[in-house]
Amino acid sequence: MVAVYRISAIAVMVEVAIQSMSVVFGIAGQGKWIQEGGVLDKAVIEAREFVFPEVIGYLIHGLNGTILIPLTALILLVSSFFTKVPGAVKWASLVLLAVAVQITLGMSASGLPVLGALHGLNALLLLGAAFYAARLVRRSRTADQGDRLASRA
Amino acid sequence: MGMGYAEHGGHGGQVAGGRSVTSLVADPRRPADVSVTLAAGKERFRLPSGRAFDGFTLNGGSPGPVIRATLGQLVEVRLVNGSVPDGITLHWHGVDVPNAADGVAGVTQDAVRIGEEHVYRFIADQAGTFWYHSHQMSHEQVRGGLLGALVVTPPEQPAETVDVVALVHLYDGVRTVNGNEGDVRVTVPPGKRARVRIVNTDNGPMSAWVGGASYRLVAVDGTDLNRPDPVRDTGVLVTAGGRADVEVTMPEDGSPVRVHLGGTTAVVLGSKSYDAPVVRPPATTLDLLSYGMRASLGFDPNRPDRRFDYDIGRRPGFLRGRPGLWWTVNGSIFPDVPMFVVNEGDVVRMRISNHSGDVHPMHLHGHHAVVLSRNGIPAAGSPWWVDSLNVADGESYEIAFVADNPGIWMDHCHNLPHAAEGLVAHLMYEGVTTPFMIGGTEGNEPE
Repeated sequence: MVAVYRISAIAVMVEVAIQSMSVVFGIAGQGKWIQEGGVLDKAVIEAREFVFPEVIGYLIHGLNGTILIPLTALILLVSSFFTKVPGAVKWASLVLLAVAVQITLGMSASGLPVLGALHGLNALLLLGAAFYAARLVRRSRTADQGDRLASRA
Repeated sequence: MGMGYAEHGGHGGQVAGGRSVTSLVADPRRPADVSVTLAAGKERFRLPSGRAFDGFTLNGGSPGPVIRATLGQLVEVRLVNGSVPDGITLHWHGVDVPNAADGVAGVTQDAVRIGEEHVYRFIADQAGTFWYHSHQMSHEQVRGGLLGALVVTPPEQPAETVDVVALVHLYDGVRTVNGNEGDVRVTVPPGKRARVRIVNTDNGPMSAWVGGASYRLVAVDGTDLNRPDPVRDTGVLVTAGGRADVEVTMPEDGSPVRVHLGGTTAVVLGSKSYDAPVVRPPATTLDLLSYGMRASLGFDPNRPDRRFDYDIGRRPGFLRGRPGLWWTVNGSIFPDVPMFVVNEGDVVRMRISNHSGDVHPMHLHGHHAVVLSRNGIPAAGSPWWVDSLNVADGESYEIAFVADNPGIWMDHCHNLPHAAEGLVAHLMYEGVTTPFMIGGTEGNEPE
């Protein structure tokens, strides 16, 4: 279970990286398209078409952020109860909380854009929490091994 | 079939003798004044712009032909399905047709299968700009081009006005006007007037604005506005499914006028030259709440027989077993939505409010409603009659209408994927029944 915990924590970190990459990919593609004469308005957005190929970036951001990341964070929390590592449950809960806050901020940002800025900031907090969770089990595993070696001696 | 729970709006519900929607027709003995046959197909074809597109055609192309009628004429359209596997219908968007001709699969008819046909008959009893489109699998078929414009003109059409249809549609995300990309040129002599009939057939609101002359917004959703003033440097928001008729008087010096339609496309009116400069979208948008002059509504909305709330929200839950973040009507997810029950002759007041985080173009079939207020501010301009109302996030509109067209009518969001996601309610006259079913063996899927 420690392995599941550690892999899920690392997976959250990787997914957060994909999130920041995909959304900027989308924005950059949109900028290029507008430079070339494209016009974006609500009707075009609601057409839900690939008017520029980098729309895939927004799509990945949306699917990853609302499905994959919450799922991974849930696996992290469930596995945390079986790791018997002090602090594992706490850090997994913080990761899940950051994910919940992140989705809420992302969904509300079009109504109140300043929430978008907090969405960017909270991504770093989420990354930090996942990083700490991953390190926590590695640290405790090396500590375990040290204890075992000590008892053998 | 999921028409929702009955909401009586302050009246007791009593069921009168049943009438089927199929009996609610235009006079069957009256011969047609305008006869059109439309053959629909699913195919790859070339748009008037030359671009190839996989979609739907009417008589070999898209958009379908402009159907023109004079006020009071009986229009008869024979729809033939050549090759659309899912079946098709035609809905007459904005025309208050008899219910049997409303073209909603599973409510007023069965979808027309390949090799079958269906005849629509209605009297063009209002002069204005309308459009028609499929109401079977509409989120796919409208997007794919199964649509066209319908123009009803008064018998004494002013001869000096040039009539221009500007049907705007996105094919694969590319904006077109009557199927053309870029500028569409129309000859209008200096000093003459042009009436540009803008039709937004897409799923989100678009802006239109005019460079090179002032303009008047003379009609909205097929209804003339009362004494509209000329405006300049002001845009018009045309909501999804909505129409706006813009009237321009051409400058005497012969300089051209550009009517921008969403940015990439425009109608350029000119004679000697069509070299009209591109102008930026104006910072201000025409507010119809205070545009034009007040006039009689023809009924008293302050003594309504029914009051309804159409409150749009969004929350996590299950739609047909699928988890997600879904639209709600009065707090509940489809099919747990209200069915607004009325009697013929009722004056109906409805409050449409939106706190769902997105804009919704709300479309009521079979009726035009007048806007009474927005966010508590009463309407002070020309009577503003709508069939497609742009309700932005955080807005609340009070509208009223007379229930004068018996039947079962959809009242839904015209962002058609939103309708497919359950943002649909019905207006139901007491005692009217339908033999048709959504789903079932006929495969009727109106959204």
